[in-house]
Amino acid sequence: MRRMPSRPSARARGSLRGSPHLRLRFGFLVIAMVLSVFGARLVQLQGVDPHAYAAMAAAEGTDIVELPAERGDILDRNGKPLADSVDGAMVVANPELTREKAPELAKFLAGRLDVDYFETLKALRLKDKQFAYVARRVPASKAQAVVAAAEEAGFDGLDTRHDPVRDYPAGDVAANLIGFMGTDEALAGFERNFNGLLAGQDGSERYSVGVGNRIPLGQATIEPAVDGQDLNTTIDLDLQWYVQRVLRQTREDARADSAFAVVLDTKTGEVLALADDPTYDARDPRSAKAKGDLVSRAMTDVYEPGSVEKVLTLSALIDAGKATDKTRVVVPSSLVSGDRVIHDWFTHDTLYMTLAGVVAQSSNIGTVLASRNFETGQLREYLTKFGLGQKTNVGIAGETQGILPDPSIWTSMTQDRIAFGQSLSVNAMQMAAAVNTIANGGVRVSPSLIRGTAVTDEGLQVGTDTATTERVVSKRAAHQMTLMMERVVDPDVGVAPSAQIPGYRVAGKTGTAQRVGPACGCYNNTFTVSFAGFAPADAPRFTVYVVVQNPRNGGGGGSVGGPAFAKIMSYALSRYGVPPTGSAPSRLPTTWRPGQVASR
Amino acid sequence: MSSPAFQIRSGRIRAAGAPGRVSGLAGAALHRARLTVVPRTRTRTGPLPFVTLVSFVLLAGVVGLLMFNTSMQQAAFTATTMEQQAATLNAREQTLRMELDALRDPQRVALKAQRMGMVIPATPAFLRLTDGEVLGTPAAATRENSLRLLPQAPQKPAVLDPAPNVVTVIGEPADPGAGDGQRHHGRDKNKQQQQPRTDGNR
Repeated sequence: MRRMPSRPSARARGSLRGSPHLRLRFGFLVIAMVLSVFGARLVQLQGVDPHAYAAMAAAEGTDIVELPAERGDILDRNGKPLADSVDGAMVVANPELTREKAPELAKFLAGRLDVDYFETLKALRLKDKQFAYVARRVPASKAQAVVAAAEEAGFDGLDTRHDPVRDYPAGDVAANLIGFMGTDEALAGFERNFNGLLAGQDGSERYSVGVGNRIPLGQATIEPAVDGQDLNTTIDLDLQWYVQRVLRQTREDARADSAFAVVLDTKTGEVLALADDPTYDARDPRSAKAKGDLVSRAMTDVYEPGSVEKVLTLSALIDAGKATDKTRVVVPSSLVSGDRVIHDWFTHDTLYMTLAGVVAQSSNIGTVLASRNFETGQLREYLTKFGLGQKTNVGIAGETQGILPDPSIWTSMTQDRIAFGQSLSVNAMQMAAAVNTIANGGVRVSPSLIRGTAVTDEGLQVGTDTATTERVVSKRAAHQMTLMMERVVDPDVGVAPSAQIPGYRVAGKTGTAQRVGPACGCYNNTFTVSFAGFAPADAPRFTVYVVVQNPRNGGGGGSVGGPAFAKIMSYALSRYGVPPTGSAPSRLPTTWRPGQVASR
Repeated sequence: MSSPAFQIRSGRIRAAGAPGRVSGLAGAALHRARLTVVPRTRTRTGPLPFVTLVSFVLLAGVVGLLMFNTSMQQAAFTATTMEQQAATLNAREQTLRMELDALRDPQRVALKAQRMGMVIPATPAFLRLTDGEVLGTPAAATRENSLRLLPQAPQKPAVLDPAPNVVTVIGEPADPGAGDGQRHHGRDKNKQQQQPRTDGNR
């Protein structure tokens, strides 16, 4: 107080509020602090990671919608779907919301969706989860209706999400060819082999949204989805179904391991049916009893063709000018070939057969004797031209190429056995195409399963557009072979009268081959029985090849394969409206008497 | 040619510039030069119309913009609902088509047909309409050549499927009234009928 007079400002000292300097300083300090906080934030936003924040800002108020590409259908030759895609949805639950009323909701869902009550109850009560699947692959309209109904009934916490449904309307028909889809990827068959073609390319769309609706004139970018292409097969759905049912009956009646069949259009080489049994339901691949049931055995099984192969040997022999259908053969009761002895399937004394008789009675010895007229390497050349030992490349993954012995190990003994269908292995498609060569007047048409053209994921181009034709034997040789094959189904002289179709001229050949067991690599006394043939014999439309593996009823190619062949061929002929030609059937002589003069 | 014309013109000029006429012309010029400012007739219009116009334009613009925006918004809402409706209908169509394909399944059709007593014919035959000739060998389709559409039931183990207990009863020929003997006879008859049938199936 003493200083008061000397300092006029000292009066303000009593209350600091009055000091403008101090106030200013304090104010500046506060402003500086606030600004430096702003500055630091600015540096953080702009300097440290500007893009992340920009992206976050952009994401706020933009919606990205995935535009799923629709998977292409797999169609039969008439456009009926073997596999098709349906807009589907999954029903998902938030267990935190559904736990309270779980039993009631589970009952509600089990009644409306095809789901198990207890599984659903478990899903609705999952602990510490906000997401649980209730049902997958439900048709979209059904899923939405169920969720809407649930909401109306007072249940919360259900939602739907996009989940396309792959449907196989025909169930097990052609399942071994089409394959099936897993949860998210293609697992087998065409689905897998042509996945790139079928799948297409997903697109996406992003746009600004406000309150759940898109803002008009707002930013929007669309990357359109590219839908998958349809795959057109040459399969005839109804015929395929019939063949599968016939095969199942044949296999069950013969108590066999498996059976498969091929139906070819003679002129075009289109595969009308390629059936396997046992098979599985493509809608439920887990129904398959064995893993081998999932693949097409017709394409993956290697087996010895047996006597059906005689068709190739003898037509080649006629083409080479070494024999005719009336060539006389003296067939002894057994024949020595190297260190082994060849027998016929029936015991007999010396027989006097024509080549037609050799075919009709399926004589191994007669075939071997005739085939010994081939020059070295000639038979192998013919068989290669018939397509043996090479993949048919019809578009099925895992196709076996069969075994045609290399010339280096092709001895005269090997040739003797190959002549009647041993010591070489084939798949069913190869054999069907080879027999079809005879039906088609000696010209081999490469078989195809795809109409038009399609590229597999491995880059292989397949389809009817890429089918090739090649002459293997002359028209005359094919004609003579056909006449001889007609004698096979003759009730008097042939071994397979049960393959005859009343009113029609049928040409065919049986096959009963010993099977090589996997354990010892030797013949294990089980058999592959088969029947290949075509009709009408004088104007062939279809070639049918039936193979039955390991029948346990003691049947052979004629008694097991023959009836199945006749049923399938009858159905195909009536389905495609092929009337009998009405011409006189083959009356080729099958035997001759030693004193007789050849009549040519 | 040009010089006489010039002369004529200059003559005229000269005539025009004759001193006798000067006073009249000058008077007019003078009269003209003595311009007086016309008194402004200022009609002061108030600012109201202009302001009204501007504000009207502004208002119309704002309202128009609002309405445009609203209608756009409305259209967007409609578009969204209709798109949803289209998606729902599309899904419905696909579901229906799926159901149709399931109904068309050859297995299902065949089962139904067989239940109605129909049989797939075993031998094809054709009737030519032009001359009424029958092509092929027509044969009646019987139960025997019907196709088994369902897989056989798996074989039961012996415990569950015991061999039938067969009791051979020697009937008394002298007792025609006995029901037992007649039943036995009937059974035998059945057996004889069934025997060739199973053979035929093979």
